[in-house]
Amino acid sequence: MNVRTAVVLAAGEGTRLRPLTKNRPKPMLTAGNRPILEHVLDALVDAGIEKLVVVVGYRRTRVQEYFGPEYRNVPIEYVLQGKQLGSGHALLQARDATAGPLVVVNGDRVIEPGSVTQVMEAFDAGGGSPVMAVIERDDAHEYGGVRLSGGEITDLVEKPQPGAFRLINAGIYVFEHDIFDAIEETPREAGELALTDTIERLMERNSVSSVQTGGIWADATYPWDLLEVTSTVLADGRVKEAPRADGVWVGESATVHQDATLRPPVAVGADCVVGPGSVVGPDVALGENMTVGANVTVERSVVDSDSRIGHGSTVVDAVLGQSVHLRADASIPGGPADVRVDNEVFEEQPLGAVLGDRVEVGGGASFDPGALVGSGATIGGGCYVAGHVPGDAEVVR
Amino acid sequence: MCGIIGCVGRGERTLDTLVDGLERLEYRGYDSAGITLLGDDLGVRKTAGKIADLETLLDERPVDGHIGIGHTRWSTHGPPTDANAHPHQDCTGDVAVVHNGIIENYQSLRDDLSAEGHTFTSDTDTEVVPHLIERGLEMGDSPEAAFRNAIAQLDGSYAIAAIVGNEEAVFAARNDSPLVIGIGDGTASSDREYFLASDVPAFREYTDKVIYVEDGEFARLDSELAVTDSDDQPVDKEVHSIEWDAEETGKSGYDHYMLKEIHEQPRALRQCLSGRVDELAGTVNLDGLSDRSPSSVQFVAMGTSYHAALYGTHLFQQAGIPAQAFHASEYATATPPTGDALVIGITQSGETADTLSALREARSRGAETIAVTNTVGSTADRECDETLLIRSGPEIGVAASKTFTGQLAALNLLALATVESARTRRGVVPELRELPGRVQSILDDSNAAEIAEEYHDSESFFFIGRRYQYPVALEGALKLKEISYEHAEGFSAGDLKHGPLALVDEDTPVFAMVTGDDEVARKTVGNIKEVEARDAPVVAVTDGRSDAALYADHVLEVPETIPRAAAVLTNVQLQLVAYHVANLLGRPIDKPRNLAKSVTVE
Repeated sequence: MNVRTAVVLAAGEGTRLRPLTKNRPKPMLTAGNRPILEHVLDALVDAGIEKLVVVVGYRRTRVQEYFGPEYRNVPIEYVLQGKQLGSGHALLQARDATAGPLVVVNGDRVIEPGSVTQVMEAFDAGGGSPVMAVIERDDAHEYGGVRLSGGEITDLVEKPQPGAFRLINAGIYVFEHDIFDAIEETPREAGELALTDTIERLMERNSVSSVQTGGIWADATYPWDLLEVTSTVLADGRVKEAPRADGVWVGESATVHQDATLRPPVAVGADCVVGPGSVVGPDVALGENMTVGANVTVERSVVDSDSRIGHGSTVVDAVLGQSVHLRADASIPGGPADVRVDNEVFEEQPLGAVLGDRVEVGGGASFDPGALVGSGATIGGGCYVAGHVPGDAEVVR
Repeated sequence: MCGIIGCVGRGERTLDTLVDGLERLEYRGYDSAGITLLGDDLGVRKTAGKIADLETLLDERPVDGHIGIGHTRWSTHGPPTDANAHPHQDCTGDVAVVHNGIIENYQSLRDDLSAEGHTFTSDTDTEVVPHLIERGLEMGDSPEAAFRNAIAQLDGSYAIAAIVGNEEAVFAARNDSPLVIGIGDGTASSDREYFLASDVPAFREYTDKVIYVEDGEFARLDSELAVTDSDDQPVDKEVHSIEWDAEETGKSGYDHYMLKEIHEQPRALRQCLSGRVDELAGTVNLDGLSDRSPSSVQFVAMGTSYHAALYGTHLFQQAGIPAQAFHASEYATATPPTGDALVIGITQSGETADTLSALREARSRGAETIAVTNTVGSTADRECDETLLIRSGPEIGVAASKTFTGQLAALNLLALATVESARTRRGVVPELRELPGRVQSILDDSNAAEIAEEYHDSESFFFIGRRYQYPVALEGALKLKEISYEHAEGFSAGDLKHGPLALVDEDTPVFAMVTGDDEVARKTVGNIKEVEARDAPVVAVTDGRSDAALYADHVLEVPETIPRAAAVLTNVQLQLVAYHVANLLGRPIDKPRNLAKSVTVE
């Protein structure tokens, strides 16, 4: 194949995912104990990409620390997007790090490994005109809706009316290197430069072809989406921990007490401890070096590394950030709940609670379904928490 | 110290392999560099300066060949000049030698050779070696015999690689200086490729199979590899697999290795603890290290590792075991270890000459020795009775950061596994397991850059702390000295008013480490007030449990934990301060002047 380089856009915060993105960019949120970005890089490396250019910005050290200078023996060059001024602007930063045609992919969605190969093949067959991957989705109104005519893209509408589109822009492209000129020629909208604006201009001038992909395409827009994304990834077995039984993965040096139960699908990270009498799973990913005490129930939840869940606690439908502490007998009993984010209310979401990084929860505290707790907040023992708790706040009885 | 490299079987890529390897060894020294390639003849290119200067020279005056050796130098004999750079040659120009170490009898050898008419062009000890080889060749020795006979005349420490005449081979020998050989899979142009170097990262990109050359052994690398002892008898060498990747040695988007390594600390801490602590059972398992109860402990170490050693003494003393820390270079005059005394050498590289010789001293006195090191297969690892690996991964920045953190964590494990009570273990193990997350929180939220901005023009920097925070004060000052070239001193907080307080004025920020709210914290807060009364700006590094912040001009926050673990956290803040001060002053942070990563001469 002619395309050897890929540019991955991984500079964005993902503001709707706060508080989980307080200390990391959206691509570093985990899906099955691996950053979403790692799933993306897998797809690129599987497709034979020989050089990875990762555009970093918001909280970039998290990306650089995790991946280092290579991923699966493919060298990574990091380029900095100092200000987050849109996807086109992000891509532009990679101009000098690339030569020849390039794959461009969003770093914040789990994609099907084969889809990158499909787009690259379509580019080779199409003689150099731009190619975009499209995929069928029920929630097309959340994304860029796409209409096709004979494989060529005729319409690209951001956040269209519900029901108007069935295909969306999957965020995987191949361009010739002159895409950078096209981006520079694109007028900025309110200072921002969206890659899709440039693509629309390309559509006017010459054809942008499409390739329809299938399989996994998992995005998290809101914090609770991570539960679904994790379930998808676990169901597909895209987990790096070693399989212990069907649907049960346990990382290196993890200790699961003989009287604890792991219910598939479940992934237990390296160096985790699961105490006696605890039941973990289904649909749970425990990050590395975290501790689950005795007689704990964890169900349909994502827990990030270095966290601790005290004896007798219940954690259902919850997303817990890094170094979260639940003391004994804390209770997150699970959804459904009406969740408010900014001025929007999302009804009947299966969400127990979202706890940002380093939230401290005292013994016996419990959570109303749908509670969102900002990073660094302290919840006193025995408190009942409902709605929003801002970061670094202290809640006492 | 210096770095040497050699390779055979790499065909046209020989030159690139050598230069890349030297770049990876640059942390061992970087005041001059050179290479020799054997092609149609022996081409030598060398220059004072960094590897980049050598590359410029190679662009101007290319050289080719398919067997080669190279060197990055750290001056011990003679200043960094083109003439003193390695490789060194004989009078005929047919022999080229690179060397790491010190040849102690070089002066008498040189006098003899000069009397015989050999002409020396450098001030180095190394230059006697090619002339000794030349003398052997003149007397009719084969190249290999000439090399062996030359080595036999040397006293001192060395890892030497040489190309002799037109013999298509690299010869190597070792005594007391590190030397590893890498075995590659071979390429289209040859069945096998072989590498040699002072350290594995030099060739890790090409192979993960290595053998460690022992003192007194010789190696010949050509189409095959032969290792022999001093009597020319073949030695069967074990081939080791290197588990870590060379990828860890790239800078990956950070401006400096040091900043990268500071950010790697959560991961390094998890690796250090991995599989060694069992929180459910409340146990610490260090394999062969666990079952011993020493009557006393002596630590030997230098520099940053010495600060870790001081920290270690507190751990053991708290458990009721008499413990002392010595600068390894001063150990010769220490009270000898007696009874079940344990001597623990702390050395990141495992090659620190002072520490190695103190450990040998301890062994000769009959003590059991333990190496706390980051380097598998290092001399300390191989010579000590037991080894506790800190598992920090390669550290390239000359100023130690993650390896100090790793040393503190490892010493905690050692104390817990040997002398501390089950009750202490149950309390401490969870706190250790929480360290990675707590360090991450500092990395996420630190305001060290602003503090550095405020104070980087200061005349001096002082650091004070008590108990576990005293070694941190020393280390904080050392870090700042090393990379910013600014004057910095660490004191035990209590000692401040016994003299150093005279140095304190409004232009000398004082960094005070205060964690917890016990008697120790209260006393340190008292010292802060003394400093504040002299108008010195105070930066409190604190978990906020004492009222230190009330008397401080700035605060660097750390999460709450037990006193011994708090030392790891406060130190991370000081690392960041040192880094940002040095960065604002435009210093070459990863390669400070006059310093080398590991000091392999006493």
